[in-house]
Amino acid sequence: MKAVGARVPRYDGVAHVTGRTVFVEDFDVPGAAWVKALRSPHPHAGIAKLDASAAERMKGVRAVVTAADVPLNVYGHLSALGIPGDEPLLAEKEVRYVGQPIAVVAAEDEEIALAAVDAIEIEYDVREPLFDVRKAFDPDAPQIHEWGNWYPHFEDGYDHRQIRKGDIDAAFDQADLIVQGVYRPAAIEQLPIETQVCQVVPEANGRLTIYSCTQALYFSMGVVAAHLQQPLNKFKFVGGTVGGGFGGKVDTATETLCCLLALKSCKPTKWRWTREEEFLCSSTRAPWHMEVADAVTKDGWILGRRMITLHDSGAYARFSPYGVTKHSFHHTGAYTIPNLHFDGWVVFTNRTPTSAMRGFGVTSVSFATETHMSRIAEELGIDPFELRLKNANRIGDTSPNGVVYTDPSTVPTILAIADHLGHELPADYRTMTTEPRSGDLLPDHLVAQLGNPEDH
Amino acid sequence: MAIHKGRGIAAIEYPTGMNQNGDPSQAWIKVKPDGRVDVFAGTSDIGNGSKTIQSQIVAETIGVPYEWVTYDNSNTDSSPVCTGTFASRATFVAGMAVKKAAERVRERILDIAGKELEIDPSDLDIVDGEVVAKGAPQTKISVPDVAAAATWGHGELITGTGAQLKPYAAIVEPDTGKVDLPPHSAISYASCAAEVEVDDETGQVRVTRLVQCFDVGLAINPTLVEGQIDGGAIQGLGLGVLETSYPYYPSIEHRGGEFGSYLAPSMEDMPVLDTVLIENPSADGPYGAKGIGEMANNPQPPAIASAVHDAVGVWITELPITPERVLRALAAKASGESEPTRKGKVVVYDQDLSLAAVARPDAPVKLVVDP
Repeated sequence: MKAVGARVPRYDGVAHVTGRTVFVEDFDVPGAAWVKALRSPHPHAGIAKLDASAAERMKGVRAVVTAADVPLNVYGHLSALGIPGDEPLLAEKEVRYVGQPIAVVAAEDEEIALAAVDAIEIEYDVREPLFDVRKAFDPDAPQIHEWGNWYPHFEDGYDHRQIRKGDIDAAFDQADLIVQGVYRPAAIEQLPIETQVCQVVPEANGRLTIYSCTQALYFSMGVVAAHLQQPLNKFKFVGGTVGGGFGGKVDTATETLCCLLALKSCKPTKWRWTREEEFLCSSTRAPWHMEVADAVTKDGWILGRRMITLHDSGAYARFSPYGVTKHSFHHTGAYTIPNLHFDGWVVFTNRTPTSAMRGFGVTSVSFATETHMSRIAEELGIDPFELRLKNANRIGDTSPNGVVYTDPSTVPTILAIADHLGHELPADYRTMTTEPRSGDLLPDHLVAQLGNPEDH
Repeated sequence: MAIHKGRGIAAIEYPTGMNQNGDPSQAWIKVKPDGRVDVFAGTSDIGNGSKTIQSQIVAETIGVPYEWVTYDNSNTDSSPVCTGTFASRATFVAGMAVKKAAERVRERILDIAGKELEIDPSDLDIVDGEVVAKGAPQTKISVPDVAAAATWGHGELITGTGAQLKPYAAIVEPDTGKVDLPPHSAISYASCAAEVEVDDETGQVRVTRLVQCFDVGLAINPTLVEGQIDGGAIQGLGLGVLETSYPYYPSIEHRGGEFGSYLAPSMEDMPVLDTVLIENPSADGPYGAKGIGEMANNPQPPAIASAVHDAVGVWITELPITPERVLRALAAKASGESEPTRKGKVVVYDQDLSLAAVARPDAPVKLVVDP
């Protein structure tokens, strides 16, 4: 029997649906302390005073950890990609979003842990917040991040991601019509059934065993090792079976702090976020602001696209620069547009940091540009299937950054739904293929952008 | 007051693997004395089914039944590096790592079988757990017998390692975005037609059917990839018409902190789902597979927005398309306020939402279209 292509049952499917799969929350390490966090109630404030000594002295409290206890408090999770760090594990001098952790407590039970959080003395110096990415660039906008209101560390000191291709001005000059629109998909929750959770056991041999719901065991282990400034063999991550992630469990939300509390108290720790924390304190999908202007001909060719993107990163960068770069690489979608002018900014606001979610960077641009395609079809009075098929990328076409498409399937996927819906198309559209452009499908404006698939 | 029907389409593409690559996955495999196969990989299964998919790839590559394979991704002591389960990389990138490890194991089995059968390993094949001589299928030895011979006779461990890494594609021209290498492992494609019913009295948008076509390269497990597509469709429906973390965005007031105040799709929101798979194999993925896990929730929101326009003639470009937004748009349309601005050959929609309308005139960022 062939294994590949077979509809074999899910490896752990029966265990999942009969409730026998053991997720991190489903067991308690003996003697594990409850963990609770002191979180900022303000979107933007200075920390004028922080004193945890009363909480530390409480009966039943095993340890309190603040920024002062973290060997490396600020660590850039994507420093390998040249993205430096900005986010402290625990807030030090200021808080930049509601729910930002400032201190964590390990205690014998949940009530004591909550009481200890209340016993931490803290005073804030409340500052003006910024929420609207469109106002972040105003000269009088509140300055909310040490780097300014937008991320300044793209290659060669660029403060935004930029794509340039072809001759954009000529495309807009030649256009019969220029269609401009604004697109704003919302922040949403990853919404896993399993909230952020971990348990940490300080072992007799000096190692830490970390029961984790991470989507990325080695990535998270690297994050913990960097914050603690320890080699990887100090840690054993146990996991690999996750109760839903959708991108939100790449953030390594609980593991490092539970390790620090376990080390300080020499006892196991367990931290399961409440559903309310999962909603309000874990990262969301980013809200995006995108403006698209397309230069089109009256017979439906897209000659050029100008686009500007403001990515609402929330309070810290996390993976946002990666997301905007990916977004820029895909801002022509499934089509070939030879003249491009794209600028994308990672903008900071005083909301919960946004992070990866299914489709990271591209879900947004698919919404913007595909809705825009429908608008163009409407403006031109062209069938939306035909507009898309005509501009669909084909073998030999090039991407926004010049990479040759070797096996694009835009044409067959569009034809498949047209066929399924019984949508009638003219013969020259019905018989289109992915083969390299020629004849009517290779107008003058596309000749210069073709590449050789053999080179890739 | 009436229910209006509409249909809209979208076509999308999405990269497999981390953007710009540079994201390794590794695996190792050992064979027990009875021929059963143990796979160790660090790929978290987040519900995407990667344990199943990678086990299928290993079984196919070695040539043994799927049931002979156990898969252990439980910890970092026994499993090697996997960058993680994200970026639609678990089937393609991590799948290639286990495939390469399985190829080594297959070679080792053939070597030892060759000694047992006194036949050159290149003249042997593995079919359904048996090593058979090509062209002489009666000459054979079972994989369990090979594993036993390795263990008790030859004093050897049958094992194999594999690693997949596409080198990091650097942006060599930050002014144009040019890269020095292809920045993805493969690209997948999909299309979607959304059919909606819009109630012009309540403003409610009901998605009644989603017709979708995905190019999956090759379906390693059709049931699981269909599950990814169905699940993604519902997540995309949520993004399109239901969900928001900030109901009054950009304000942070009134965030929903519980299921009761956050509208996620539930069974009553389920449309009819018609899915068509096509298989245009990737050049270098495992058995031609591509990753489609993430893109599964990308085509629905624009298809739905276009369908709403088809139904009631308004473009709603802020998500989600809530009843309030539909009613406001219908009211604006009735009073003639929703028409785009037309100047020469330039048509400007959504002017009130734009940066130009909200930012100060002296802010350094604006979208300039020379009319």
